Amino acid sequence: MRSVLIKALYDQRRALIGWGVGLTLMVLLETALWPSIGRMPELGQFLDSYPEAMRKLFNMEEFGTGTGFVNAELFSALVPVLFLTYAIGRGARAIAGEEEAGTLDVLLVTPVTTTGLLLQQTGALLAGLLILGAVLYAAIVLGSLLFGLGIGLVPLLSATVATVLLAWEFGCLALAVGAVTGRRPVAIGVGAAAAVAGYLLYVAGKLVQAIDPWQSLSPFEQAMSGGPIGAGFRPAYLLMPAVALLFVAAAMPRFARRDIAVAH
Amino acid sequence: MGTAIQTWQLSKTYRSRAALAPMDLIVPDDVVFGYLGPNGAGKTTTIRLFAGLLRPTGGRAAVGGFDVVREREQAQRQIGYLPGDFTAYPRLTAAAYLEHLGHLRGGPDRARTRSLADRLDLDLGVRIGAMSHGTRQKVGIVQAFMHSPALLVLDEPTAGLDPLVQREFLTLVREAREQGRTVFLSSHNLYEVEAVADMVGILVRGRLALVEAVEKLKAQAVRRIDLTFVGSPPDAMLHRIPAVRDVTVVGRTAHLVVEGHTTQLLNAASPYGIEQIVTHEPDLEDVFLSYFDTRE
Repeated sequence: MRSVLIKALYDQRRALIGWGVGLTLMVLLETALWPSIGRMPELGQFLDSYPEAMRKLFNMEEFGTGTGFVNAELFSALVPVLFLTYAIGRGARAIAGEEEAGTLDVLLVTPVTTTGLLLQQTGALLAGLLILGAVLYAAIVLGSLLFGLGIGLVPLLSATVATVLLAWEFGCLALAVGAVTGRRPVAIGVGAAAAVAGYLLYVAGKLVQAIDPWQSLSPFEQAMSGGPIGAGFRPAYLLMPAVALLFVAAAMPRFARRDIAVAH
Repeated sequence: MGTAIQTWQLSKTYRSRAALAPMDLIVPDDVVFGYLGPNGAGKTTTIRLFAGLLRPTGGRAAVGGFDVVREREQAQRQIGYLPGDFTAYPRLTAAAYLEHLGHLRGGPDRARTRSLADRLDLDLGVRIGAMSHGTRQKVGIVQAFMHSPALLVLDEPTAGLDPLVQREFLTLVREAREQGRTVFLSSHNLYEVEAVADMVGILVRGRLALVEAVEKLKAQAVRRIDLTFVGSPPDAMLHRIPAVRDVTVVGRTAHLVVEGHTTQLLNAASPYGIEQIVTHEPDLEDVFLSYFDTRE
């Protein structure tokens, strides 16, 4: 392992295999439901029986198509939650986890700088998420072919990219908080709290008129609005990596200057 | 001769607790410096300041001529560092871990790594997570020595090592000095420091109480000498010699407590016919303990 980045990816290999298998199974199970739901004669009526808030929240109006079904069933909650959990966990572990384990000491007394370490871990996090994204993409393509959902390859690609970027943003927040505080629980807590807050803002914006103008601040709105399958490559996607890098950049000076804690 | 480590009023305070009082220290090149003190005296704090892992609250320190704050990266490149509680990635084998560190430091020297591992009787194929504390410590020693750094900064290096490995480690330290490297090692084990160090610094509750050459300390130390005479011992004469602190005569043998040089004593005693001399080498423990006693 020639660099911290390669080692960080090597460390993720088991987790990535596990998460990839789980993700694939989940996608195949969900898409396997499509033939029975898509053929329901009274689907429209059935959906109308749901409260309006729920229909809005889960894009149920679109339920009649394979794309709408996957948007509602997978991308409105399950997939983002899985990606965020992975990203926040990894981000918190990358520096704060090493510090708590005591392995950061020797690592920093090499030509690896604090800034270099942060950047390499940021890159490793993105690489890991891209691998998970590729698995998600392949699983949905497979499910779509097997069960006739008719999902377009390009729209699905943009939705996958949006999911990866969304997770990367919060993963970078956890990484940055870990680098600043050296504490993994704090990094996980802040990352998760920010994700929940972002999600609530997105949901509230859908349901409450007054919040609507603020909704676009939510990374979930940036990633998920209008699909995400079928929304195309929105300019709002660029905000997510920009903010992600901003978090990392903000952590650099503090990480470079603070005391490294002894293992505990 | 250059200086391997120098500090100017270097100090460290955690929140409100002073861990290290302002310290001026010079460690010359090519010496083994033993940094002694009881647990909690501030040894680890000092070493982590040298390693660039802590920021000084006051003053500054230079390692290999590089400031540990402003030129941290260059300073860190000079040193082989063994942390006090060494831990490594449990899932990696020792070989994979050392190879990884080697790459980070600009390319592993596999032959040197293997030879160090052989000397410490370390099996490189074992996962670090499956190792005992002592075996893990060997991995820590190998990683500190393997890139042949100009300065070794070792925090309690022999903790957990069995006596045979300890001896081999001390040989490694001596070799490093012979090759012109400097070794700064902390310890609360006097015998270990005495066996290998040229200079010692004694740290008491965050204060550097003493820095001295080991030989000089030993010369100042109180030692016990037993002189067996052919006849009865010249008791009164022995008492008159300034270096002699105490005399106890048992039969033909005088048990003496002597401070400093013994030349005058031996010159004065030899005309009386000495049959046998037994000297008990002084150890640093007396010096060490006297420092704590006076400061309690």
